[in-house]
Amino acid sequence: MKRNLKFWTRYTWESSGVVLVTAAVLAVISLFGAEGLDFAVFAAIVPYYLCIAAVFIMMMLNSGSQTLYVPLLLSMGETRRNVLLGFHYYRVLIIAVTAALCALIWLLAPGEVSAIGLRSIPTILCVLLIASALGSIMGTVLVRWKWAGMVLIILLCGVAGGTVGFAGATGGFDAAQIIKIVSYLEMLPWWLMAAVPASLALDAGFQWLILRRQEVKL
Amino acid sequence: MSLHCENIVKAYGGKEVLQDVTLDLQPGKIYGLIGRNGAGKTTLLSILSAQNPATRGTVTLDGEPVWENRKSLAKICFSRELNANGESGIAAMKAKEYLRIASTYYEDWNKALEERLVKLFDLNVKKRFGKMNKGMLSMITIIVALCSGAPYTFLDEPVAGLDVVAREQFYKLLLEEYSNSGRTFVVSTHIIEEAADVLEEVIILHEGKVLIETDTQAFVDSAVHVSGKIEEVDAATTGLEVHHPETVGRSKGVTVFLKPGQKVDESRDVSVQPVSLQRAFVALCGEEETK
Repeated sequence: MKRNLKFWTRYTWESSGVVLVTAAVLAVISLFGAEGLDFAVFAAIVPYYLCIAAVFIMMMLNSGSQTLYVPLLLSMGETRRNVLLGFHYYRVLIIAVTAALCALIWLLAPGEVSAIGLRSIPTILCVLLIASALGSIMGTVLVRWKWAGMVLIILLCGVAGGTVGFAGATGGFDAAQIIKIVSYLEMLPWWLMAAVPASLALDAGFQWLILRRQEVKL
Repeated sequence: MSLHCENIVKAYGGKEVLQDVTLDLQPGKIYGLIGRNGAGKTTLLSILSAQNPATRGTVTLDGEPVWENRKSLAKICFSRELNANGESGIAAMKAKEYLRIASTYYEDWNKALEERLVKLFDLNVKKRFGKMNKGMLSMITIIVALCSGAPYTFLDEPVAGLDVVAREQFYKLLLEEYSNSGRTFVVSTHIIEEAADVLEEVIILHEGKVLIETDTQAFVDSAVHVSGKIEEVDAATTGLEVHHPETVGRSKGVTVFLKPGQKVDESRDVSVQPVSLQRAFVALCGEEETK
């Protein structure tokens, strides 16, 4: 288990780098559409870009790790149970790191947007958990039914492209407008909370069904 | 310590690619796993190392099941053939990363040997697998197998794509590691003639079944090639296990597998010659095509 933790911790570290770079790209793109730059407001919205980057990267990396790292680790003598646990550990770790970074930035850049951000953390955690589960399901689909998985990835890339475009086109820093948008995240609707265990259970069950009979191919 | 599999069956869509395979791999030996394409060699090695599930049957190491047992799996290394074509995910991986992960997962990884082999094979480990040729990919699988330190190590077609010099180096390294560590190696290969000298035991797999599991020398010694006129050869080999008959005009040649106490009737006008491992294998498994 120690080796398994070592591998997935390193993988999380590498994934975190990709999340940070993606968030930085989104933040820079948003600057192009800005008319006036209020540094405090800008700093307070960076965590949202971080979350968006985490969602996309987790969805992409989850499917990548399912198709590459899961068979690779099985080929190196790891048990299926440990691979599954390690994979969940990685997801929990990357969500925790993202949420912690968001909280840190909001604490360092006080203001109304940051205050809303801190209150939104439960909602953000729910969204990250659901995205992570969906990414994992997508990876499982990709392993078992390659074409269906490819369609899902193309759709995801389309959504990612749309978000980048949105960031570029609407990246003004009107504090009132931003407060109105991010306030939606303060609400934590029951269906979102219910979707978390449902998606995690669906993911774990689906993944185990495939993993327990999976044949290693490199 | 022995690795044992009992009545292994592997079926795909109703077709059994392995049929009731029972084997006992003893420690401290080099086994050759030989068989024609599609005989089930890779499938068998995958099941022995729990990389693929069996449809039926069990695999145990020291009496403990191998499936989902990290303690047992830590003692087995199946260094798979890497298929780094453009579509596979592994094509984008660098050799350096692959070796790093292997060194993390194999408890007795020999880092000094890894460095020595990378230098010996003149490998650029910063290269991605997709940019490597077949020979380089084989070198990587050889490095993982030899450096893993696993008491049971399987190599699937390790010399595929290697030139003759690299193949010689591989056999030399295999023997060196074997004599230093006493590990058990199972080498699946099609280049039988070259490997014959290093294989202590031979396992012949044919159409999903184990045909032979025996000492290589005893197997080779049990086979002879008998040639002469058709009627003389037939008379000299009456009652013996005859394979692979070849007839040219009035002459005939057959490969005969002798059981203890049996011998060819040399009073007949026939020539009796020893055969190589490859020739004996072809006689056993290539028969259908020559009939």
